[in-house]
Amino acid sequence: MERQWTEPEQMLLRMAAKYTDAELAPYDLEMAHTNRYPDGLVEKLIQTGFLTVMLPTEYGGAGFGPEVTAAMIERIAKGSASVAATLEGHYKSVDAILKYGTDALKKALLPQATHRIFAFGMTESTGGSNPMGIQSTAKRVAGGWLLNGNKVMITNGTLAEVYCVLVKTGEQELSVFVVDNSMPGFSFGKREDFIGLRGTPIGEIFLSDVRVDDDHLLGRVGQGGAIGDHAHDDARILMGAVLSGIMQHALSLAAKYANERTALGTPIGQMQAIQRKLADIKINQETTQLLWERAAYAKAQGQPYSELAAMAKAHGSRAAVAACDDALQVYAGYGYSNDYPLAHLMLDARALEIAEGTVEKMRTAIAQAELKKEEA
Amino acid sequence: MKIVVCIKQVPGSNRVSFDPITHNLVREGMAGRMNPFDENAIEAAVRLREQVGGEVVLLSMGPDATKETLHDGMAMGADSAYLLSSRAFAGSDTLATGYILAQAIRKIGAIDLILFGRQAVDADTGQVGPIVATELDLPQATFAEKIQPLDAQHVVVNRDLGAVTQTVQLTLPAVITVRAEANQPRYESPVAIQQSLTKPLTTWTDQDLTLDASRIGQAGSPTIVRKVYAPEPTTRAAKPLPQDPKEAAKALLDILQAQGLL
Ligand SMILES: Cc1cc2nc3c(=O)[nH]c(=O)nc-3n(C[C@H](O)[C@H](O)[C@H](O)COP(=O)(O)OP(=O)(O)OC[C@H]3O[C@@H](n4cnc5c(N)ncnc54)[C@H](O)[C@@H]3O)c2cc1C
Ligand SMILES: Cc1cc2nc3c(=O)[nH]c(=O)nc-3n(C[C@H](O)[C@H](O)[C@H](O)COP(=O)(O)OP(=O)(O)OC[C@H]3O[C@@H](n4cnc5c(N)ncnc54)[C@H](O)[C@@H]3O)c2cc1C
Repeated sequence: MERQWTEPEQMLLRMAAKYTDAELAPYDLEMAHTNRYPDGLVEKLIQTGFLTVMLPTEYGGAGFGPEVTAAMIERIAKGSASVAATLEGHYKSVDAILKYGTDALKKALLPQATHRIFAFGMTESTGGSNPMGIQSTAKRVAGGWLLNGNKVMITNGTLAEVYCVLVKTGEQELSVFVVDNSMPGFSFGKREDFIGLRGTPIGEIFLSDVRVDDDHLLGRVGQGGAIGDHAHDDARILMGAVLSGIMQHALSLAAKYANERTALGTPIGQMQAIQRKLADIKINQETTQLLWERAAYAKAQGQPYSELAAMAKAHGSRAAVAACDDALQVYAGYGYSNDYPLAHLMLDARALEIAEGTVEKMRTAIAQAELKKEEA
Repeated sequence: MKIVVCIKQVPGSNRVSFDPITHNLVREGMAGRMNPFDENAIEAAVRLREQVGGEVVLLSMGPDATKETLHDGMAMGADSAYLLSSRAFAGSDTLATGYILAQAIRKIGAIDLILFGRQAVDADTGQVGPIVATELDLPQATFAEKIQPLDAQHVVVNRDLGAVTQTVQLTLPAVITVRAEANQPRYESPVAIQQSLTKPLTTWTDQDLTLDASRIGQAGSPTIVRKVYAPEPTTRAAKPLPQDPKEAAKALLDILQAQGLL
């Protein structure tokens, strides 16, 4: 099943491949070592228009659909999972505003999404998988709301300029507001020292009496849980694509090395023990790709895709960790070295067993959907 | 400033095949891409338009699939494109191609500047630009590494000729071929990619141009290709010199002497 892309979609994928190979892949290992993006990388990414890909044309975007957007993310992840994660964080946040923002908010905010990075902050030290554990609040004031709290581990946190934030508007009531880093009372905290995706800034924000107007509420008061879930669904399709891209990267490295490296007078690629690993990596990559493509197709068709997206990430993240581990083993001693990319790829993949909902929560969601289908 | 950029679609990979009889490149069923130097020409044109205003028009002769390459060029910022496509053009060498392009440029009309890449990477002649200049009787500057607009009638061009750089002032309209060193071509932005398919692309056949039938296609091509072959892959071996500087110098002298280089 080879997808038939339209001509502009082919052009987008060609451009992304060229861009990734020239501008991103050569710096991926450096990102892992320095825990940051090289100078100018984000500026060029923005200048080339990568933020606009799935933004509708009425807001100045390119208006590409979810399938080709995910395919592009996959191709970028083959060169740099960190950069793919930055784009994923932006796209899912823009998607949430598109779905739940008022017309006025969308008109005001979305044209900025072509050149300003967006993010989504839910997690707090007291609540990750359990959103009711968060402590941030929004209090009603005349004509608006006053926001207070502290978000941690936000993808693009410290880099992004516009944030969707999940807060409590009541004891058991969650809502999402949009804040801008230029608002009084907004500040950045520390950047996480995560073991993978080390190019991507992932960090903390503080809200201290940040005042927003009524129209900065996404959806309705109390709809925060559902909005968060939806953002996760969109993110998980893209994460499936990131994982597939990471596995393509690992496979290409491992196969090349297996052709070059010799033992007992033959290339190690001729040994069954190595072939088994290469085959397993390929199977893991293809199954993950099929899952994200199926989820993206459902989304494009307006069909339910929540469960499929959860599967893409739940299967893909474990599959990718296993695949990168296999590739590392093909490189053996060098695979275990910080100076080579294999271990870093594994740690990049490992992030996605946690980010955008843990695999445990994914499985709960998948199981519940299946149980529901057979309810009496 | 109205700028025409002539671009060519070249094979997307090195695995090309040739017609055993005509020795022409087999283009059917082959994925093409824009000649890389033409990207520099488009970039130069778009920057000139950004500086002084005007319009960038692409022109290419080739099969229908060349439309994809023209879309790529419009995604880089060109405003419109013309494709010259006809069975009658098949087999045209550089002379016939230059003539056909020149006739198309006459028909487009009111042009200030005509840009080319320094050469096409498939045939590597670099002749078509100068032929068009001669055909249209226009001043020309090849191997440009810098183009600066001077006033409405003139541009200043730095020509990189390897050992020397020459600065020339050209009276418009003029023809310029552009080196890779002139600029870093931009990536096609996603928004520009979407817009590229809505920009005007006109196809002209031999019927749409005023052409002398004896000057086009096989008949208009005096070039005779005697033989086309893939070069033998060459292998090179490195010889390590001894660690000790004195011994290394002696070994190097021996090698140079043995090669008859001293
Ligand atoms: C790379 C990266 C990027 C991130 N980006 C963002 C971001 O952009 N925005 C954001 O808000 N957050 C982000 N996070 C945070 C991420 O969403 C949380 O880490 C995740 O939701 C888990 O929360 P936690 O770390 O508090 O773990 P906990 O929720 O404390 O979970 C601890 C363990 O208990 C299990 N568990 C908890 N509840 C359940 C349950 N109901 N059923 C089954 N098992 C359960 C978990 O699966 C886990 O194994 C990011 C994290 C990473 C690693
Ligand atoms: C933490 C650490 C400590 C180390 N300490 C020492 C030390 O103290 N002293 C020392 O000398 N070395 C040490 N090493 C090196 C280690 O012994 C080698 O990495 C190991 O022997 C594998 O060799 P290699 O890395 O060259 O991989 P290769 O031998 O090139 O193997 C590449 C891949 O091919 C497979 N392969 C190779 N040959 C065969 C075969 N015949 N049949 C099936 N599969 C095959 C391997 O299993 C592997 O998957 C250390 C390595 C590490 C990671």
